[in-house]
Amino acid sequence: DALLPTPQNISILSTNMKHFLSWSPVIVQGETVRYSVEFQGEYERDYANESWIPICECSLITATVCNITEDISATVAYNLRVRADVGTRRSEWGTMKGFFNRITTSLTPPLMKVIADGYHLFVELEDMGPAFQFCVLYWKKGQESRVQQKVVKEVSSVVHLDTMEAGPDYCVKAQTYVEAINRSSSFSQTQCVRAQGGTSMWLV
Amino acid sequence: TAGNRIFHFGQCRVSMSMTEIRLGFTAIKANIQARDPIRTLSILSHPHSLHKVKSSDRCCITHHLFNFYVDKVFKHCKTEDSYINRKISSIANSFLSMKRKLRQCHEQNKCMCEEESTEKFKQILANYEGLNVTSAAMKSLGELDILLDWME
Amino acid sequence: SGVLCCSLPNPRNVHFESINMKNVLHWSAPEGIGHGVLYKVKYLVYGVGKWIRKPECRNINRTWCDLSSETSDYEEQYYASVKAFLNGMCSDWIETTRFNPLTDSKESSSCSQIYRRKKNLLFYVFQWWFSISNNTLVVPWLEPGTAYCVSAQIRVTTPLLHSGFSKEYCIATLKDKTA
Repeated sequence: DALLPTPQNISILSTNMKHFLSWSPVIVQGETVRYSVEFQGEYERDYANESWIPICECSLITATVCNITEDISATVAYNLRVRADVGTRRSEWGTMKGFFNRITTSLTPPLMKVIADGYHLFVELEDMGPAFQFCVLYWKKGQESRVQQKVVKEVSSVVHLDTMEAGPDYCVKAQTYVEAINRSSSFSQTQCVRAQGGTSMWLV
Repeated sequence: TAGNRIFHFGQCRVSMSMTEIRLGFTAIKANIQARDPIRTLSILSHPHSLHKVKSSDRCCITHHLFNFYVDKVFKHCKTEDSYINRKISSIANSFLSMKRKLRQCHEQNKCMCEEESTEKFKQILANYEGLNVTSAAMKSLGELDILLDWME
Repeated sequence: SGVLCCSLPNPRNVHFESINMKNVLHWSAPEGIGHGVLYKVKYLVYGVGKWIRKPECRNINRTWCDLSSETSDYEEQYYASVKAFLNGMCSDWIETTRFNPLTDSKESSSCSQIYRRKKNLLFYVFQWWFSISNNTLVVPWLEPGTAYCVSAQIRVTTPLLHSGFSKEYCIATLKDKTA
C-alpha cells in the first residue's frame, strides 16, 4: 500500500490554559481520512526512552483538531505528533515543529460584572477553571491612589468587595493569575457604579 | 484550586504547587494500590517513617526521593490502561518541574545530606530492592500520597 | 471444617467512612442472607507485619465498627477486614482499600458565608465571606426587611483541608418603621 502523506502545519492554539492541537487535512479523493495524536513530555524524552503516549480521545478521529489540555498538565516542554490512516494505508508521523510549554498560553482579561446593591459593592467573575485566581482592584473615583485589592481564589458566585458611601462612584477592574505558570493577564476594562439608597441597581 | 505554597525544607524555600500531582494521584490511587497485594511491607513508611526526619534533613531526603521516583519508579509503572498511563505521565512530568526547583537549593548548598538522611534513604532503597522491579515500582507509586502528605 | 466454613457469601462494600477524623468501618450483609449473621473485624497498619483483631467487634450483628482509636495516627495508613459467620459457616475475609486518615477524612462544617435573598424581585444571591476562629460573628450593615441566610464550612490549614458547607439557616431583619 502506498504511504499516505504526512499531516502538515501541526500547531497549537493555547488560550487561558486550554490547549488545542490542529493540523491541515490530508486529502484522499473519495476516502475518509482518520487521524491519531500522541504526546511526549520531557519525562518521556529524558527518562523513558523517548516514548510517546497516545491520546485515546484523539485516536482515529476525522476532525483535524484535538483538545490536549488534560495531558499538558505540567510546566515542561511537550512534543506532539499526528498520523493519518485510510483503511490499511497509513502515513508517517508528522511531528510539531518545536516544543510546546503551557507557560506560553495567552491569558485574556476576565469577564466581569460589577453590581451595586444598596450600599454594597459586588463583583461577579467568570469561572475560568481551577487553575485560575483573580486579583480585583477597586477604588473610589478620584482617589486612584487609594486602590484596594482583593484576591479571589475560588469563584463560587458574586463576591462582596466593600460597603459604599452614598455619592461617589466606585470603580473596579480585575485580572487573572495562574499560579501553575506564575503569570497574570492584563486588566479588564474598568467598570464604575454608585450606591443606590436601599434599592439594587444592576450595571447593564 | 491551584495552590502554590512555599515549602520549607530546612534552609531551602521552594514555591511549588502540589495540586496537579494530588489530582493526578487521586484519579489513579485505587487502581494502582489494587495492583499491590503486599500489605505487610512498605517502601517509604517502615521501618523508618518519613515523619521522623529532622528539619535539617528534609531537603536532602526530598531531593533523593524526587530522583528516586523519576529515575526508578515511573518508568516501571506502565499499565495496559491508557488513562492510567496518561496520569502517570502527568505526575512524572510534574515531578520534573519540582526537581528543577529543588535543584536551585542544591546549587546554593542549602540541601546538605547528613549521615542520618543518607541512612534513611538507603533504607528506602533497600525496601525497594527487596521486591521485584515491577512490584516495587507499583508499590512506590501507590505510596505517593505518603510522600505528598509528608511534604505538605 | 475449613472448606465448609468458607461457603458463606462474603460481606459487601467494606469501606471506611471518616468524618472529622472519626473513622468507622462499614459493610453490607452478605447477599441473600437474612438475620443471625455475626461478624469479626481485624485491621492492619500498612507496612507492618500483622493483622490485629478488634475485640469490641467480635461476634457482632451490626454492620459497622468504630476503628477511630486504632486508626488515629495520620502518619500511617490502614487496611481493615470483615468476616461473616452463620450456623457454623463463614465467609472469606473481605478487605477495604488502603485507608489514609489524613486525606480520606471529610470535615463537617463551620466557616461562614452569608448571603441575602430578596423575595419579590429577581431572586439573587450575594455572598460575604468571613473567616472566624471562634464561634461567633457579628455582621454589620444589614438591610432592613431582608432575609439573610448563613451556612458554614470548616477550614484546616495544616493539613490543607476544608469541608463542604453546612445546611443553611435563614432569618429576616426587622422592617424599617421610619421608611
